[in-house]
Amino acid sequence: MPSAAADAAATDMTTLNRKLAAATCALLGSALVTPVDAREEPDWDFNTSLLYYGEDGDRVQDLSFKSLSRRLFTDDRTLSIGLTVDTLTGATPSGAIRQDIPQTFTRPSGNGSYEVPADELPLDDTFKDTRLALTLGWRQPVFEKGLFDVGVSASKEYDYLHTGLNASYAHDFNNRNTTVSAGFAFAKDSIEAVGGAPIPFTAMRDVGDLGNRQGDQDKDVLDFVLGVTQVVSRDLLFQVNYSYSRSEGYLNNPYKVLSLVDGVTGDTVQRTPGPEGGPSGVFLFEGRPEERTQHSLYAQAKYNMSGKVLDVSYRYMTDDWEIDSHTIDLRYRWPIGDRSYLEPHLRFYTQTEADFYRLSLDDSVALPAFASSDYRMGNFDGTTVGLKYGWKTRNDNEMSVRVEWYMQSGTVPADQVIGNQAGRDNYPDLNALIAQFSYRFSN
Amino acid sequence: MAKVSVERRVEIAPADNGWAGRFTAMGSPCEVLLDEAGQDLTCNVSTDVAAEAWRIEDKFSRYLDGNIIKRINKAAGTPVEVDEETAKLLDFAATLHELSEGRFDITSGVLREVWQFDGSDRIPDVAVVAAVLERVGWGRVAWQRPVLTLEPGMEIDFGGIGKEYAVDRCAGIIRDARCGAGLVNFGGDLAATGAPQQRPAWKVGIEGEAADSTDKLIDLRAGALATSGDARRFLLCDGVRYGHILDPRTGWPVQDAPGSVTVAADSCTQAGMLSTLAMLQGGKAEAFLEEQGVTYWVRQ
Repeated sequence: MPSAAADAAATDMTTLNRKLAAATCALLGSALVTPVDAREEPDWDFNTSLLYYGEDGDRVQDLSFKSLSRRLFTDDRTLSIGLTVDTLTGATPSGAIRQDIPQTFTRPSGNGSYEVPADELPLDDTFKDTRLALTLGWRQPVFEKGLFDVGVSASKEYDYLHTGLNASYAHDFNNRNTTVSAGFAFAKDSIEAVGGAPIPFTAMRDVGDLGNRQGDQDKDVLDFVLGVTQVVSRDLLFQVNYSYSRSEGYLNNPYKVLSLVDGVTGDTVQRTPGPEGGPSGVFLFEGRPEERTQHSLYAQAKYNMSGKVLDVSYRYMTDDWEIDSHTIDLRYRWPIGDRSYLEPHLRFYTQTEADFYRLSLDDSVALPAFASSDYRMGNFDGTTVGLKYGWKTRNDNEMSVRVEWYMQSGTVPADQVIGNQAGRDNYPDLNALIAQFSYRFSN
Repeated sequence: MAKVSVERRVEIAPADNGWAGRFTAMGSPCEVLLDEAGQDLTCNVSTDVAAEAWRIEDKFSRYLDGNIIKRINKAAGTPVEVDEETAKLLDFAATLHELSEGRFDITSGVLREVWQFDGSDRIPDVAVVAAVLERVGWGRVAWQRPVLTLEPGMEIDFGGIGKEYAVDRCAGIIRDARCGAGLVNFGGDLAATGAPQQRPAWKVGIEGEAADSTDKLIDLRAGALATSGDARRFLLCDGVRYGHILDPRTGWPVQDAPGSVTVAADSCTQAGMLSTLAMLQGGKAEAFLEEQGVTYWVRQ
């Protein structure tokens, strides 16, 4: 068929549909017609993201790829497969305090040492890891108004192996306006520290000496969560969760040390490194309790103001390490046209220090039962400020770009500051940039 | 339109989200789903919907004595004056006949006298089909609004339009009731007046190869879906499969028609006509649908 004729035929066909629509309209009256919006439910749904997290001052940099693939079956049954690949590099505080003289440390592997210049925060720059995590989940509606979720997880990094399983059940009441859920998760982790996990409170040894190291360590974590979600009105949703978490086993960070200091000057007790090199001072490996029980209460409200959504949440966490924390999270989704939105994000976090948090250990008194100078065990505040821009592509896939800044600063309790330590910056501030690109698509 | 249902009762039951009203009409299970109306309102609206469905069934079923279709089919060549609703349906049928170049024809029902698609190998004689074909053809009909005259021996039926028409009329009742969005489903031909409140879309399953299995899930937020075809109705003779879609121009089954065609359109009537016209295109069904620029699903 010549192409002009083919075009004419094609025009004819579309005319057919138009004429059919007109005839239908004459039969039914236009009031009986709604413009159609029908699409095939996708088989697979992919949620992918690439995240950059970078701390300033050559500290931790993380590039992380995440994907969550979901296969939707009939009757809301869903299989989900999660994959995360992280590459971590950079330096992390070793836990030792600053000194006005250079300091040397043995690397965690025991193969070599590194030097920290005077007045600088001791950072262990051997922090390098790749993490691969997998999750597998199955969701199944049960008893008409119930939803059952079950899953397994595993992750592997160079010095850590995690395996876990979880299950939860959610039940709808009150014409689906109320959802009550309960779940648990159990994790069995193995810590395979580089060079072996050090015996707590033993001193960092010279290069090549791994006499105070032990084999792999274990940690078990059991979590329970109970939640209620209530649809208050068409525009307001409220959620409350209580969660309980119990950890047992090896809860130390095997690479963190505390400086043993003179009770008067507050300066690190010096030692002479061996011929192959080694620590210039006495640095004792940290020791934390072997149990931890956490309770947390979380409340969230989502309020839809004619398309603009305000999402406010608050979390209170307390544990038997005496860490109490409060988190307030605010998000405001502001639609721009039909297909895109801007979402400012503000988050405040504050926590008290663990009862065993110590800036350093005083050599003039007996050692405490537990001690850690990990800044994450300290008293600090964190603020996150961010902005996300999201948009829908022409074929209804979703993309978003998020940029956030995280600022953390802490203080060391005054009664822990000894002698010369008073003049130093004892709690290392932390600033980080977070950038994320997300892409959600289906087929 | 199939045989009149025996029992005329509307049952109200809680549904996945909201309430459902269920009844039988036109030989099909019928369902009204409302996700915002309570039990009482669902009962009222479903009763009105069922009443409309049964009214259409009573008026246009070719099995019932005394209705307009029977009067037309028994007129034996005398002119019959029809009411406005019947006239509109006849106008519509006339347009469809023209648009389909004779493939869609409401006078083709008499071919059923010689074609029974029961899975057997009983293919009618060519001469027998030719004889029946003498009584088929909208072109032989005199339609001068409001008067219809059929040649003696000819019959019409709205089997190809009636159910979809009823679905659209009933969707209109839900819309007028202002009871929130609703879905009307008459045996797989359905229309939604809008997206449900409690979930993003109505989930509609397209029947799979085996009965009671779901092949595809469709998210319907508004508009309608209609399906034509029944892969279980066929004849098999000398290795040739004769599907149940008859071409009224030849009196013989359309070759290579798909097992079923589902079309999405603004109204159920439009969706139903598109799926029917596609089936009548036989092996060119998909190409036809493609050219119409509509959303469709074809099962071979």
